[in-house]
Amino acid sequence: MISLNHYLALSGVLFALGFYGVLVRRSAILILIAVELMLAAVSINFVAFASYLDAKLFTGVIFAIFVITIAAAEVGLALGIVLRIYRERSTANVDEASTLKW
Amino acid sequence: MPLPAQLDRTIVTGTIMASAIGLPYIVVLSVLGLMGRISGAEVVWWLLAGLILVGAIGSVTSNNVVHAALSLVVAAMGVAGMFLLLASEFLALVQVLVYGGGVAILLLFALMMTNASDDPIVVDGSQKPFGFGVALIMGIVMVSATVGASWDATITTVVSFRDIGTRLYRDYGVPFEVASLVLLVALVGAIAIARRDTEESDAA
Repeated sequence: MISLNHYLALSGVLFALGFYGVLVRRSAILILIAVELMLAAVSINFVAFASYLDAKLFTGVIFAIFVITIAAAEVGLALGIVLRIYRERSTANVDEASTLKW
Repeated sequence: MPLPAQLDRTIVTGTIMASAIGLPYIVVLSVLGLMGRISGAEVVWWLLAGLILVGAIGSVTSNNVVHAALSLVVAAMGVAGMFLLLASEFLALVQVLVYGGGVAILLLFALMMTNASDDPIVVDGSQKPFGFGVALIMGIVMVSATVGASWDATITTVVSFRDIGTRLYRDYGVPFEVASLVLLVALVGAIAIARRDTEESDAA
């Protein structure tokens, strides 16, 4: 039988992988990809808790819907910013885009 | 042995690694499943978990940015499968639509826009060992915290579309509207930030 702990462990590993990506990657888009992994891990956690412990209200499922919505908005906005930075400074490397004002 | 031109090194090493790791994994799982040691649902769970982890590792370690974005799609599809196993079919569909359709295309689009081919891409920074250590410790802490925990938990029946709609619109109406506002602002903001300022460039 698949227990709740299976899902929690998987989402922990997935979150740590995304965290590693955020820390290590230097290209802004690759950092965004790693953030998406972390958000997916959180969604798994929410839905797992909702399915196992909250069968009547399934609040975690609703929360996961909002997480996916915010993730989509965040990706769209962040990619707009990345495009802008690339156009102004011709780099997508976050280390080189370290000044707030040019 | 010279390789045919259409097989570059990534494809060859990827295929070898996938067969070396994936095939034994699938064989062991099928044998265990057929012998009745683990249930069918568990076989599916472990297959999906393997898929998610392969996709996640690929997307945080790949040196090719397009491969990283496509690996994210693999991981997202695995997560959609997990949602199905967790009896949330609506979320599985949303996950496929949003990640497979929207986010992946957006990411690939941005990658194409920002990577001039003569521009060397710095993928990983010099903080790599430190980051690996921190993430490893974090993963160990989180997994060890969850492994021993015992919950009074039973898996639910399928969460139906009707129930989700009722709950979303009746109890979470205001957050739902706020979320739509956030999406609108994000859309307008992304256009406002990313568009070219024609007036400024004319003046300059």
